[in-house]
Amino acid sequence: MTARKVMLLGEIGVGKSSTVQRLVFDRFDFDYKPTIGVDVYRYDIPDVPGRERSSLIVWDTDGNFGDTIFRHVYMKEASAAMIIGDLSRPQTLETMVRLAEGFAEALPGRHVSLLLNKSDLVASPSAVELPDGFARLKITPIMTSAKTGQNVQDCFVRTAEAISRRGQ
Amino acid sequence: MVNNTSQVNKPAVQSPAATRPAPLLAAGLLLADRGVFGLIWVDDQLTVTGRYGPLVDFVEIGEPVIFSVPPFFGLETDIMALRGARGQLLDLPSVSIMQAPSGSPKLNFTVLWSDDENCYLVLVSRAGSQTNVEVELSRQIRARLIAEAEVTHKSKALAKANNELARANYDLEEFASIISHDLKGPMRALRYMAEDLAQNTSLQAAPNALTQLADIRAQSQRMSEMLTSLLEYSSAGRKEEVAEIVDTAKLAAAIIRSTPRPHGITVHVNGLWPSIETLRAPLDLVLRNLVDNAIKHHDRPEGAVLLRCEDAGDWLRFEIEDDGPGIEPYHHAAVFLPFRRLLQTQTSDGQGMGLAFVKRWVEASGGRIGLTSNAPAQRGTLFWLEWPKMRGR
Repeated sequence: MTARKVMLLGEIGVGKSSTVQRLVFDRFDFDYKPTIGVDVYRYDIPDVPGRERSSLIVWDTDGNFGDTIFRHVYMKEASAAMIIGDLSRPQTLETMVRLAEGFAEALPGRHVSLLLNKSDLVASPSAVELPDGFARLKITPIMTSAKTGQNVQDCFVRTAEAISRRGQ
Repeated sequence: MVNNTSQVNKPAVQSPAATRPAPLLAAGLLLADRGVFGLIWVDDQLTVTGRYGPLVDFVEIGEPVIFSVPPFFGLETDIMALRGARGQLLDLPSVSIMQAPSGSPKLNFTVLWSDDENCYLVLVSRAGSQTNVEVELSRQIRARLIAEAEVTHKSKALAKANNELARANYDLEEFASIISHDLKGPMRALRYMAEDLAQNTSLQAAPNALTQLADIRAQSQRMSEMLTSLLEYSSAGRKEEVAEIVDTAKLAAAIIRSTPRPHGITVHVNGLWPSIETLRAPLDLVLRNLVDNAIKHHDRPEGAVLLRCEDAGDWLRFEIEDDGPGIEPYHHAAVFLPFRRLLQTQTSDGQGMGLAFVKRWVEASGGRIGLTSNAPAQRGTLFWLEWPKMRGR
């Protein structure tokens, strides 16, 4: 079984820990508990015939790192970044663009996925206006909800598959 | 993060234990047994060969170290490079290995190569004790940051909306200005052509033609006047003027003196009328229009108009009250719209722009205006006006 390192990046309070906790433990904690430093999870991608067996080592980072994360030892040999924003807080979406561009610069050619989290809190998620920078990234964002579990596992599976395709 | 141990300053005074291996070892064992730190031995193939201390009970002996310590995944090359770099360390600070949703202790990992033991040593220590107070403090700091980010974002959105609004207003004024200015040309031409046609038409040839031509001239004249009003309306409040000290009592007296009125209509002044710093012209125009309106739309030969002024802190509140026919509540909002003439009396010969101008001047000066009237149940109308003492309030 191969393992790949994936970074969860995003502004404070966007639901990075909730997303990975939903993935690994299938639970959602209503009580906000900040991540200090970094929490590392292991997630085994479910076996499917024809798909390479793999694990993701998911690094749930402290949102306070901001752009400094790219200069940190934590980032070494990351195969992908999953960048999370809060659909109900537009400024976190602008941060997503900055982080995606920073990651691409720090680790060129690595897979990046964009998760628009807390879709359950927004009346019309698809109507939320995304910052102009999203068009520049050329990555289709995915609506997620750590609370309901919407698209959470799917995002991680797609990331594992993308990493595998790139041979990273 | 790789550090060089040779940079570490040695203490000036060594403890007794440092010179006697046995007590030093005993102290180290005590700390490890109490879970203050733990040690992992890793061979040159990065397989765990031993561990010590309850802090590292999660580590499986005989397995690759990255199985038990996933944060080392991706750092294998860096770890192996320590073997050839005497005295160097690899630090991985403040990491939790999450094996349960309730969380795991935050640990610092330090890796070094030991020539003596021919293996890697991994020192694991607690990265601070995240007490409830610390977590709560962190939570509150983050909540504040989130709130500040929200405020910043909303301020930006508000500034953007204000800019768009200002631009829309400018465009609208520009549009009204262009339309009213440009339409006056063809209207004038139409009027002249109607006049020429009237001169060349005999009464016998077309009995109704002269009457109809007169109507055309009257209508085109009226439209020209409306366009002039529209042009003035679009520019009202845009002129930059300088605030000055205005004696409102003298201003009211001058307005009353210069406003024509029938003999039966009386005008009284009540209250305290102070001197304030403000723009003279708009205040004069507003009060003059309101007084003129009250007189002009009075429907009886005898009546009274009362002007009051009251100091309301940063504002002056003016009231212009008449005992005329009144305005039905249904029409209150419409009286301030351009070209609305709700008060049809024998003397109402204007364009219906007076109150529209008044409202625009008031708002451009930072004030507010409204009215109270309950026709037809009661006669009379009271227009109230809140005027800032300083411009820009």
